[in-house]
Amino acid sequence: MTILQAQNIDKYFGGIAAVTDLSFEVEKGVIYSVIGPNGAGKTTLFNMLCGYYVPNGGTITFAGKCLSGLQTHQIAALGVSRTFQNLQVFYNMTVLENVMVGCHLRTHTGLIKAALRLPSVVREERQVREWSMEALEICGLAHLADREAGSLPYGELKRLEIARALASQPAFLAMDEPAAGLNDTETVEMRELILRLKGRGITILLVEHNMGLVMQISDRVLVLGFGCLLAEGTPQQVQNDPAVIKAYLGEDV
Amino acid sequence: MKRLSGFYVYAALVAILPMFFPDNYFVTVVGATILLNVILAVGLNLFIGYAGQISLGHAAFFGIGAYSSAVLTTRFELNAWLAMLLGLGLVYVVANLIARPILKLKGHYLAMATLGFGIIVNIILVQESSWSGGPDGLGNIPNLSLFGFEIDSDLRWYGVIAFFSLAAVLVSLNIIDSRAGRELRAVHGSEFAAQMMGVDTVRTRNNVFVLSAMFASLAGSLFAHQQSFVSPESFGFGFSIEIVTMVVLGGMASTYGAVFGAIVLTLLPETLVVFEDYEMLIFGAILMGGMIFMPQGLFVFLTQKLRELLKRQRTRANKVSNQSVKPSKPLECDS
Amino acid sequence: MFDQIIQFLATGLSVGSTYALVGLGFAIIYNASGVVNFAQGEFVMLGAMSAVGLLAAGVPYPLALLVAILIVTLVGFSLNKFAIEPARGASVVATIIITIGASIFLRGAALLIWGKDIFSMPAFSGNEPIEIGAATVVPQNIWIMGITVVLVLLVRYFFDKTLYGKAILACSCNKTAAGLVGINVKLMLLTSYGLSAAIGAVAGLLIAPIAFTSFDAGTMLGLKGFSAAILGGMGSGMGAVAGGLVLGVLESLGAGLISSGYKDAMAFVIILAVLFFKPSGLFGFKSVDRV
Repeated sequence: MTILQAQNIDKYFGGIAAVTDLSFEVEKGVIYSVIGPNGAGKTTLFNMLCGYYVPNGGTITFAGKCLSGLQTHQIAALGVSRTFQNLQVFYNMTVLENVMVGCHLRTHTGLIKAALRLPSVVREERQVREWSMEALEICGLAHLADREAGSLPYGELKRLEIARALASQPAFLAMDEPAAGLNDTETVEMRELILRLKGRGITILLVEHNMGLVMQISDRVLVLGFGCLLAEGTPQQVQNDPAVIKAYLGEDV
Repeated sequence: MKRLSGFYVYAALVAILPMFFPDNYFVTVVGATILLNVILAVGLNLFIGYAGQISLGHAAFFGIGAYSSAVLTTRFELNAWLAMLLGLGLVYVVANLIARPILKLKGHYLAMATLGFGIIVNIILVQESSWSGGPDGLGNIPNLSLFGFEIDSDLRWYGVIAFFSLAAVLVSLNIIDSRAGRELRAVHGSEFAAQMMGVDTVRTRNNVFVLSAMFASLAGSLFAHQQSFVSPESFGFGFSIEIVTMVVLGGMASTYGAVFGAIVLTLLPETLVVFEDYEMLIFGAILMGGMIFMPQGLFVFLTQKLRELLKRQRTRANKVSNQSVKPSKPLECDS
Repeated sequence: MFDQIIQFLATGLSVGSTYALVGLGFAIIYNASGVVNFAQGEFVMLGAMSAVGLLAAGVPYPLALLVAILIVTLVGFSLNKFAIEPARGASVVATIIITIGASIFLRGAALLIWGKDIFSMPAFSGNEPIEIGAATVVPQNIWIMGITVVLVLLVRYFFDKTLYGKAILACSCNKTAAGLVGINVKLMLLTSYGLSAAIGAVAGLLIAPIAFTSFDAGTMLGLKGFSAAILGGMGSGMGAVAGGLVLGVLESLGAGLISSGYKDAMAFVIILAVLFFKPSGLFGFKSVDRV
């Protein structure tokens, strides 16, 4: 069944058309990759999905709900989470605290209850800690829980973002270039992590430049070029599509 | 509870000092002022230090609280505690009203807008002399009384203010160590990521602004009754800067840092009085020097130095005990 | 009534010229270093106070003015060298506190040197009132507006047409790139602070004969100059100038027609209005965050 549906999405910045008439569907539980050269509109698409940008035209529907007009935190409440291309880690907190923020939607202590430190707050803190350590363990970061986030190397910060997103128990996770800047070993670990996430039933929308990774794990691939859909299908179909080959490798003159 | 061990030490100090020095001006009067400033600093720290915003106009809320208490008790003869509650209510309304447009701004723009707000409130207090008493202020503010006890001595005022001050610190510590606290710090860390985790960042910033304003209002009401007199001078741009300095110089994103900042900034003018004409000059120099060389705040700076010192002593102690053990191979440099 | 308005306009333009110069000074420093200089008003105050001090010491009038400007320019250099440069990379809050600290420091210095007295300064060319249509002005008003125009045009020329000026603008766009093409970024920053201070000093010298001066005369002026810069749009020097003139006129009209007690509040109500409805100001432009 379809969990995400984009219909005729347009996005302009002034005179520049970042995304034009884009339509696609994502089935529940798959790994759906979006590839394309830089500037093709991939991150713009992500930002529209998260409510950071408002599409100029078209609609995005998630789990039957139309996302237009919704703010980012409302979209998150529907079960959408995300990791960022330019890391958006909370450097002012520890690794564990970063992930604990991920549990925000699963808890409800506000300023007043917190100020009075009611027993429910104490119980909630314990619960949040448990959930967060769980997420850290899945991502292999449990041993770094009390370190300052700023002291972690790049590869581990990428996994921290995933742990944080994981803690919110999302139905849908958009990952913006999770393998960027990783060496071969780290990329393999990232691949396994993504597959583990899929195994937990999370639908994954992946933007990646690492073609090897994309072709290995994706169920379907969408190719963007200049904001338009170039091709869509299984990895094999996309690899053999002449339009895709032309966009990436050029034609014979 | 290990979590609050620092608080218990602090509370003990606050309680013990007046027991040993009940007649000492420094303890009862200056101490009470310090404790009052702690309320202001701790409240503002939630907004500036933890949520990462800025306000150069918080003296306005201090003033609204003070004048609410002053006007309601002198002109309308309302009960002092009721007046205080009404003051809190007024600040709640005002802060919520300006929060929406003001908090859309960031950085310098937010600083300037809060500055403008603070100055406008101050000018209103000066101009509307029919109820505010104008630049000459409002006097004869009645004392607070608690269960028939009138709070009319320095020592009693110390007690009342200490109670509220400790409550403020405790509330701040409780908030930080909870989902609400992480919300604040997430907004500071990365607003977009916070939103992606489901945090309504607009509402978060709105609420912490209002909360910090209410801390200031409470302090203002206490101030009005303690001094029996209010005048617009105490609630202007200069004092707004003082409160911000307490937070920033003391150490942002640290409740104890704010407490420390309040202590230092309150004691500083008392010690600088010695220098007479040089007072303002030296204060300015300290502000500049402090922010240039200790941008993370005095408290964090000192605790870091302390930690380094302890570490050095520990390694020295280890070296002494390991002297008999020779290293198996010479130390190599990292390649 | 109409005559009154003309008078208010004349006064407003005169005061507005001062705000324009202070705002211009703000804009120059903000453009070059991204710092909002809360000590800008103190440059204005120090210009006037230094001149007063020099005149009292017997220095001839024109020389006193020049030396005063020089002194304040040096103060501007010092501010950059000793307070701003060491704090490169500090957060917005920290930088604000630093410049506020500098403003307190300079005010403290003035207090120490000249005490709490209020001083007056002789006008450039006498006090005979001049009638221009329905408005009465003193020669000093003409000097203020005239010199402001000249100074603004000079600054405009400097930044638009000279290589040095363009180099400073390059630093404000991208320090790293500017450094890579051989621009001495530190020197450019130093220059912009000196220039801004000099402009502030000129403003102080222009207004002192009319408005008197004392150790804390700079605070409100600085804040209003800042309002002018915001009104015009932070980052636009000419916008700050326009903002200053508009602010001066609005303040004068407001004080005359509505209430003089709330005159000072006018500037801040305007700031709030601008910040709430169009933060980029009259001539600034919006920026989009890249995520």
